Amino acid sequence: MPTDPPPSWEPLGPRPYVAGHRGVDVPTPAAASDPQVSGVRPYLITGGRARPIDSTLHVETQVLTTWDGRAALDTLTYEHRDIVALCVRPSAVAEVAAHLRLHLGVARVLVADLVATGYLVIRQPEVGAHQQVQIIERVIRGLKAIR
Amino acid sequence: MDSKPFVDAPGTGRPPLPVKIVIAGGFGVGKTTAVSQISEIPVLTTEAPITEIAADIDRTGQVPSKTTTTVALDFGCITIDEEVKLYLFGTPGQDRFGFMWRDLTEGALGGLVIVDSRRLDDGYPAVDYFEKTGLPFVVAVNLFDGFLSHNLEDVRWALAVSDDIPIVTFDARDRGSVRDALLAVLQRSLARVS
Repeated sequence: MPTDPPPSWEPLGPRPYVAGHRGVDVPTPAAASDPQVSGVRPYLITGGRARPIDSTLHVETQVLTTWDGRAALDTLTYEHRDIVALCVRPSAVAEVAAHLRLHLGVARVLVADLVATGYLVIRQPEVGAHQQVQIIERVIRGLKAIR
Repeated sequence: MDSKPFVDAPGTGRPPLPVKIVIAGGFGVGKTTAVSQISEIPVLTTEAPITEIAADIDRTGQVPSKTTTTVALDFGCITIDEEVKLYLFGTPGQDRFGFMWRDLTEGALGGLVIVDSRRLDDGYPAVDYFEKTGLPFVVAVNLFDGFLSHNLEDVRWALAVSDDIPIVTFDARDRGSVRDALLAVLQRSLARVS
């Protein structure tokens, strides 16, 4: 695994079409009191959709950028670009949300979009893995190695 | 763009298999501290810091030196081996966040309910939920400054947990202690399936 940080995934800031809406920035009460809360409404980022194409994405589902995604990076914009850049290293859906300061539901919608376009692949938790002796024992061994 | 091989691209590798343990407990009980001690990434939070109104409801004033808290999820992760990655999701143990719990506990290896022996009732909703859903879990009493307000049998009685649920003491600030509490959870997970 490379130890260099992935290409910049820092959020790019307010979307111009939002900032330009009234020519001035009118923060919501939440945004005004908390710099970590985006003033952009979630439905703007997702194009009005509240549910992901694939509604089965779990918080721990692993997300990884594909070759196609990497090749398309320069053509992508805003959150799509941030996610594809971040997931050059495998990340959980919850990590995508946290790093990009997106609501978890928004992150799910966007990840599902990018999977549909082939820029990301996912690995879901395996059904029943939590009840497999072999998996539990592997986790026990891994934890015991921690000093 | 560099030409470094893209190690995990399809065809050359897969994303890791995620597994998870849910860590529940009231505000200020040491969930985030525990996760941060053992996580290989800095603890991440998905949602917003709690508002002042909610902070008042959550009685943080009763807990010494807890100044900030968050709604929703704090989490970290541990790479177990070349394929398996363990996520630790910390979630407030209040009933009003119950809507998140089904999502979180589905497919979880187990749960760790952290309690503060001075505020045992905060641990009750999580204990209740884990018992109802059949999730293997352990109750861990966080020893603030090494101090235990009640003996463990009193804790068991107050939380009304059955005799087969382990109750352990631990120090959320100590990595080895957090690891051992998680290992206790996994022993329960193992006992359920073997």
